[in-house]
Amino acid sequence: MAASLSLKDVSLHFGGVKVLQDVSFDVEPGVIFGLVGPNGAGKTSLFNCISGHYRPSSGSISIDGTEASGSPPARLARLGLARTFQHPALQLNASVLQNVLLGGHTRLPGGPVSWALRLPYTARSERAIRTEALELLDRAGLAWAADLPADELSHGLHKGVELWRALLSRPALLLLDEPAAGLSHGEVEQLIATVKRLRTEQDITIIIVEHHMGLISALTDRVVVLDHGRKLMSGTAAEAQSDPRVIEAYIGKDAADDAA
Amino acid sequence: MSTAATVRRPRVRMILTAVLAVALIAAPLALPAFANQTLIRIGVYAVAVLGLNIVMGYTGQVNLGQIFFVGLGAYVTAYGVNHGWNILLVFFAACAVAGLVGLLVALAAARLGGLAIAMVTIALPIVGVPLAKRLSDFTGGSQGTSARFTDAPDWSGLDNDQWQFYIVLVVSAAAFLLARSLVRGKYGRAFAAVRENEAVAASMGISPYRTKVLAFTIASIFGGASGFLYLAAVQYTSPETLSFGHSISLLAAMVIGGAGSIAGSLLGGAYYVFVPQLTNAIDPNLTTVSQGAILLAVLFLLPGGLVSLPRVVRRLTRRSATRRSTARPAAETSQQTPPAQHPVPDAAPEGPEQTERQDGP
Ligand SMILES: Nc1ncnc2c1ncn2[C@@H]1O[C@H](COP(=O)(O)OP(=O)(O)OP(=O)(O)O)[C@@H](O)[C@H]1O
Ligand SMILES: [Mg+2]
Repeated sequence: MAASLSLKDVSLHFGGVKVLQDVSFDVEPGVIFGLVGPNGAGKTSLFNCISGHYRPSSGSISIDGTEASGSPPARLARLGLARTFQHPALQLNASVLQNVLLGGHTRLPGGPVSWALRLPYTARSERAIRTEALELLDRAGLAWAADLPADELSHGLHKGVELWRALLSRPALLLLDEPAAGLSHGEVEQLIATVKRLRTEQDITIIIVEHHMGLISALTDRVVVLDHGRKLMSGTAAEAQSDPRVIEAYIGKDAADDAA
Repeated sequence: MSTAATVRRPRVRMILTAVLAVALIAAPLALPAFANQTLIRIGVYAVAVLGLNIVMGYTGQVNLGQIFFVGLGAYVTAYGVNHGWNILLVFFAACAVAGLVGLLVALAAARLGGLAIAMVTIALPIVGVPLAKRLSDFTGGSQGTSARFTDAPDWSGLDNDQWQFYIVLVVSAAAFLLARSLVRGKYGRAFAAVRENEAVAASMGISPYRTKVLAFTIASIFGGASGFLYLAAVQYTSPETLSFGHSISLLAAMVIGGAGSIAGSLLGGAYYVFVPQLTNAIDPNLTTVSQGAILLAVLFLLPGGLVSLPRVVRRLTRRSATRRSTARPAAETSQQTPPAQHPVPDAAPEGPEQTERQDGP
């Protein structure tokens, strides 16, 4: 069920700003893939292109061999794509459980009339998805928080809730945008364990954008390094970390920042 | 003690519901005609406010034209009655015509962003009034049109106001039950997701466009149903019924009752009916001023609307109780509310935000 992803010469321009230029790479089904690069390299923009939130200026993106670029994000989500956001976007006044349940939307059958009439199968599917969401929270050690409003949780837990929300949709392709940003050391360890468990238990392809190289090394099979919207190299995490071009991209950026 | 309370809760709820149902069925038999007429009008407007709440309170789409659909429903009802249609067919047509027009408007308007939708919905009553005057074959022109179809049949042994009460009760109870099931579960979460963040909603497989169209269409259908009830109660409609001012009053009623709350819609209906009576009683020359003052007072004291009153009171009493028992009030409150007792947030606490947006133009 895990999906494959293929990008060919994907470019994205905003007016004159070239955010992405001719980015190509393939992600095989079932792998954990890393997307790294200095700030402003275009990683989030690339995620937005894949998830349908941005439409690439040119190039093609295909998921499991079917063209995805140009499809609205809601349709891609129904085809099995899920993502988290760099800045957690939860409904703060809704309960944690309600936030997670949102991820189950595509799995609930029936239209508005059936739900308004509360036909038995809608009630049954709602109960089932609720049980599943509570189980997810329970395994994450978050059962105590299920009924709390989301804004009473810490930043680290917000990131967690976003992840569980995405997982409740049972995605075939999961995009995680900086899942470790702002997490404590212990929380990062827990995240790594969670993703490893996901890989063994579910048939899923995962792409991770992350600055935390420890996490990238621990989890990813392959990485692509972006810099200024271009693909710099691809290989394993270890290869990327020792590649002189990658080191220069990071150091050069710092030097430029210092000069400014 | 707290576990006993949670166990008994559903049963308490069931008993309360049963008592309420019996009270509603018995009320028109016991109350004087004037009281019945007031309750009837509350039911009429509660359904309109309920529809407005779905599109605006739950889904966050500004709709200033709800009264247009009420008027449309009323005119369709008058037309059907005067052409001898079966009453069920009339009701169905009132809902369907309003819903269809709402659907068409929404298909076009939901493509536009935030304020543009508001502008389109403003246009509806503004265009609607002269249109109703012009299409006199259908509407009776400026004179309006009347239709009597809710006189109590002889076999019932009821007075007209009692009979009308039951018609309004059946329709509005059905509307409230349907809306309540809809906003709990899949579609309630979809509405809230679109209101809060369209990009997130879309990434969950929820099409913001379709969701807005759905919410707007539901609001229009409820508007049409409210128009049917309006005619059942008043038996007369004219272009004045759908004037823009009434639309703004409906909106104020929704906010005052509680945006994003089903029970708040009922309170909104009550507000819509009672407040003009109240302000007229105070001083007929100052109605607008005193209505504005009441609106501001409620918004300042209860930004979540009247429906948030019990919650606010509970929070205040809890806070003062903890203040008495411990030195640090805020930190201890969580102990007093074990997670299991947190209410499902269907009476949405988003009131303040909504209010600011609605009050703008
Ligand atoms: N909607 C937009 N309009 C204009 N420019 C944009 C837009 N979105 C992104 N950009 C630009 O694209 C560039 C890449 O941004 P992006 O957020 O994709 O980087 P990133 O690699 O995710 O960085 P970070 O590591 O800081 O999250 C930035 O210069 C940004 O200003
Ligand atoms: Mg980013």
